Amino acid sequence: MSDGVAVVGWGAFVPGFASVTDWLAGRASAEHAAPVGALVPLRDRRRASPLSRALADAYAGAVERAGFEPAQVASVFGSALGEVSTMIGLLDQMWSEGTPLSPMKFATSVHNAAAGVISIATANRGFTTSLGADYDTPAMALVEGLGWASSRGEAVVVCCGDEAPPDDLVPGQRGWSLLAVAVALCPLEQAPPGAPVLDRLAPLARSAPVFAPPQTDAVLGRNPSVGLFDLVVALERGIDGVVPLDRGDGRGWGVRVTHPGAA
Amino acid sequence: MSRTPLPITGYAMCNGLGPDRAAVRSALFEGRGGLGPPSIELPFETVVGAVADDLPELPPELAPWSTRTARIGARLIAALAPELDALRGRWRPERIAVVLGTSTAGADVTENAYRRFLAEGALPPDYDLFRHHTYGAILHVVRRLAGAEGPSWVVSTACTSSAKPLASAKRLIEAGIADAAIVGGIDTLCAMTLRGFRSLDALSPEPARPFCTDRRGLNIGEGGALLLVEREGEPLAMLEGIGESSDAHHISAPHPEGAGARLAMERALAEAGLAASAVDHVNAHGTGTRLNDVAEAAAIESLFGREVPVVSTKGYTGHLLGAAGATEAAIAILALEEGWIPASLGADPVDPKIHARIATERIHGRFDRVLSNSFAFGGNNVSVLVGAAR
Repeated sequence: MSDGVAVVGWGAFVPGFASVTDWLAGRASAEHAAPVGALVPLRDRRRASPLSRALADAYAGAVERAGFEPAQVASVFGSALGEVSTMIGLLDQMWSEGTPLSPMKFATSVHNAAAGVISIATANRGFTTSLGADYDTPAMALVEGLGWASSRGEAVVVCCGDEAPPDDLVPGQRGWSLLAVAVALCPLEQAPPGAPVLDRLAPLARSAPVFAPPQTDAVLGRNPSVGLFDLVVALERGIDGVVPLDRGDGRGWGVRVTHPGAA
Repeated sequence: MSRTPLPITGYAMCNGLGPDRAAVRSALFEGRGGLGPPSIELPFETVVGAVADDLPELPPELAPWSTRTARIGARLIAALAPELDALRGRWRPERIAVVLGTSTAGADVTENAYRRFLAEGALPPDYDLFRHHTYGAILHVVRRLAGAEGPSWVVSTACTSSAKPLASAKRLIEAGIADAAIVGGIDTLCAMTLRGFRSLDALSPEPARPFCTDRRGLNIGEGGALLLVEREGEPLAMLEGIGESSDAHHISAPHPEGAGARLAMERALAEAGLAASAVDHVNAHGTGTRLNDVAEAAAIESLFGREVPVVSTKGYTGHLLGAAGATEAAIAILALEEGWIPASLGADPVDPKIHARIATERIHGRFDRVLSNSFAFGGNNVSVLVGAAR
């Protein structure tokens, strides 16, 4: 990725805030406590998990801001644990209730449930994928997205999120809260003037000066997707520099952000 | 826009047909299936394709990551030792990517741990979500055993999970992000998957018979396959094109006319810069469900006509879910290397609604290009086009 890609939009679902802008300004709002998934038709929305709805909210924000055509744009979804709460619900059905599994719950327990729901909602027959790499999920989703943009010369939305893990599997002191974040990327030659640029996506040289992650509460900060949130904060603030894509639990990848129009 | 083919320099597989490529090859050649009764307790009848319980132990430093998934991974890496030595001789570790696929990850471990939690109020003391269940666990094991330090992630798109890493590898190499990639996938049997497909009324009580008029659904199998894709190297086959598409239709049912499936096949051909007439054989997704087989066969026929032989190998292995795409790509390479394709086990008599040429017997001949299809929940479709190395 020698030439980099432009960031032309971003979006997020942060519990209690309408946007990352509001989160930075400390403007909490009770109506944004839970994700809506407004992009998804009502019937499918009711069946979608909180994670799928949060990813849909973040995705919709990025696509709208970028002005992308939802039926055409490629997408990469990342999540460390995916639909783990749905899986636990199925295990409860199996081991506690002894009832046959819900076919709809089973079909939406797959890691690519959000990718499927969103492709159906937007009538998009293009490329979509769904991946995970524990705390490296944001970095690897960006690598996959940049691979698409660089090799195809086409735009892509990279969207990462994780829901709060079940306490039974991840004890509360190690757990995190729901978070979903998306960035809309396009090849440099297709970007409007002044669009911020990402390049040097690679393992960080530990001595390199880096962007200090914003202060978040610990529960949000432990979310495996927080690295993409930190990137969006850097974009919102117009900060240039290398942004770490994990907060110490991953393999230490980062990406350089440059705002060409900045003084 | 056609792209430069990339050499596939090694491959290994392991499933209910046997522990290695030679055993899988023999079973396919002889038309011998690998399905049998499950060891998992189930309240209904079915058969499964299980890997024999003689998997290698992990080295001591990786023992905390020891799961069935990881041990299948270790077996595959060991089978590729000479090819990996050559690969590491050509490329720096940080230029070697690992992109794997799985649909189950460590679900087999977690469902047993959770059952104990419900019974006793505590998870087993040695259970660790991040070493036994998540995607990072298998990545850690494969990276360490293979000596790869490049980008690494797991694709989890249900039944296309291990076909898509081939596309990721191609993009990584084309974009200059990596020089080589270890790709493929691993899935293991678990009760949740078996009961889940049963809930969808998709599970056959007897060995699956893809494309047959009497088919009653699919069987689940476990196993894995790994392939090595490089910028340059001594090829066993060439990765010529990959098409990816979405049905945009339904979360668990295929598009009735196979529109998304056809789109994936067309995109694979377009990427390779080839016409449909260049394809000699199609290794179908061919699950054995009523809906899939008719829709897929219609899409294949509409694109390739009624002469190109079509085979599903799921009657041998069961549906390997997250390992299916890589396994069937490996079987496609076997056809290119050896000049024969297996019979589509159990397909006779072929459903009269299916007009594609289903190969009910083994066919010998020269195969220059084989297309391998994988389709998944979420309407996710992948077609992999591999060509002979000659």
